[in-house]
Amino acid sequence: MRFVIETADLTKKYGPLVAVDKLDLKVKTDTIHGFLGPNGAGKTTTIKMLIGLLKPDGGSVSVLGQELGWDKPDVRSRIGYMPELPKLPKHLKGRELIDIYGRMYGVTKEERKKQIPKLLDMVGLKERGIDLIITYSKGMKQRLGIAQALLNEPELVILDEPSLGLDPVGMVEVREIMHEIAKEGVTVFLSSHLLHEVEQVCTHVTIINKGVELASGTLKQISAKVKGPVTIEAEVDKLSKAVIKKVEKLSFVTGVSKDGKKLLVEVKTRDDVRSQISQAITAGGGIVISMDSKGKSLEDVFMDLLVKHKRKKRSQ
Amino acid sequence: MSVSHTSWTAKFLAVVRYEILWNIRKKKFLGMLILAFALSTLSLALGHIVSALGGPSVEPNPDFVIGSNVGLGGFGFFLFAIVTVMNTVSGEFESGTIVPLLAKPVSRTTVFFGKLFAAFLTLLVTYCFLMIYMTIGGFVVYGPQNNLHLVPLSLLGALFSTLIWISIVLFFGTLSRSSLIAALAPLGIWLGTTIIGQIVGALAGQGWILTYIPGTGNSGFANGGPPSQFAPTGTAVSTGTDSIGPNLISYILHPSREVTFYKINIEEMAHGQPSWVALYSEPLSNIVLMSIAVALVYFIVFVAISWYAFRRAQITE
Repeated sequence: MRFVIETADLTKKYGPLVAVDKLDLKVKTDTIHGFLGPNGAGKTTTIKMLIGLLKPDGGSVSVLGQELGWDKPDVRSRIGYMPELPKLPKHLKGRELIDIYGRMYGVTKEERKKQIPKLLDMVGLKERGIDLIITYSKGMKQRLGIAQALLNEPELVILDEPSLGLDPVGMVEVREIMHEIAKEGVTVFLSSHLLHEVEQVCTHVTIINKGVELASGTLKQISAKVKGPVTIEAEVDKLSKAVIKKVEKLSFVTGVSKDGKKLLVEVKTRDDVRSQISQAITAGGGIVISMDSKGKSLEDVFMDLLVKHKRKKRSQ
Repeated sequence: MSVSHTSWTAKFLAVVRYEILWNIRKKKFLGMLILAFALSTLSLALGHIVSALGGPSVEPNPDFVIGSNVGLGGFGFFLFAIVTVMNTVSGEFESGTIVPLLAKPVSRTTVFFGKLFAAFLTLLVTYCFLMIYMTIGGFVVYGPQNNLHLVPLSLLGALFSTLIWISIVLFFGTLSRSSLIAALAPLGIWLGTTIIGQIVGALAGQGWILTYIPGTGNSGFANGGPPSQFAPTGTAVSTGTDSIGPNLISYILHPSREVTFYKINIEEMAHGQPSWVALYSEPLSNIVLMSIAVALVYFIVFVAISWYAFRRAQITE
């Protein structure tokens, strides 16, 4: 199976509002795929259609190779899903909830006995498993939501804003969990509006806004889609005019400027050209102390795509 | 972790467990349980209280337990239905817990009927305790009791009567996704059929129509002689779904009973002399059959609509 999630022309409307507009989403197996978009972009609506909680108004959905029909729950036994700010039944104890969900997944009694403490330990709730969920903090509910999503050893884990409500330590822990489960060959589909989270964790990204896909691919591919120079920042000792001239002569350089001891080199390529620049600086008599590529961050790319999308909408 | 091919039963029982734990931990359910036991205690102790206040002394009553209707009666059934299922579907939508629940590999049909069965089990256990309490209390207060073999029938009748209200509460809860509407709309129906319906029926002589709606139904008198000046005589019989248990027992004990229905003559009432006019009579067997048939139709129709709506519900929460 090449794609664990595949949608074609997926559409969802709420009255006149088109929440998801002909979305062609493709999530490759064994990846951590970020699903990025601002609030109200249609991320949760898309996920709910993937899980079978919402009925699409158009298009098709295939998850783990199965076409998703209405109220056909079988495929869900292979999916782990953590909803956005999971609303868990507060009348149950953490451990009871995982146990009941385990029964629904068909996890055997012996396995539940073994795995539930392990899962609760993994999300830092080992000591609180016997307490009612109503006594849990927002972050604890979030952690319990992650634990229940991993209960059935899923082939695909869908996490909707897993870091929401977590403190910085919790956020780091969630990222570590994502890396861990991905290492075990599980595909992770991560919906988030936190750019740095997606940038740090994901191998692939799909960016949507107002239900429309803006870009999809690896982080590098997406960055390449957005035109604009990459700046290489070099800290140079003995920075002279000769050094600048030597660097300017390089074919891929579009501009050079000086900022104190720093040389700012704009290049038109996205290849790693730091060694050529370093050689040119040395040839001009300078000594390279440090060098860093200041290409567009995902945030820059994201903002560029949003602005372009807005302009396009206005012109239509 | 090994995931077995789960049978439908295992999933169904998981839903039942989920729901029962919710039911028994609800404050309103626990409150209702305390209230039910308090009311049962009061009905047991009422004779002694009246006697202590100078009223007649307590006489042995061998039919107390059989006539107690689980110590609850119509409004008790209605209240138990409300507290048991007013949140069953609508509460899940309101709190958002429906999202992780329906994301599990369990069909909506299983979830819906698992919840319904959990309500049934919760009430069965509750009513069993109430019935045992009333039986022991009846022995202690009113002496040896007759026809105790019919106690399970009384219990089943009470359960069936409550299930009608449960289907109505579920219906409003599923369609509106609001616990408030799930509670208030049936309350409106209960008030309409029990209070307003009874008054209008008694005055207009059109009480027969109450036979076809849930609740108390039409009221008549069995085994009575001609009406006295102020009221008919005999045993009061209600035709509604709330009285299935007592009517069944009454039929088993007195299969040939006839029930006569009356209207109040308002014109004479204006002259200070109200009188009751006999309208029609019906065999008790007809009334029992009719009340069971009506109850079944209501239960099936309301549950079927609720199930259909739940299956088609889009989870936007």
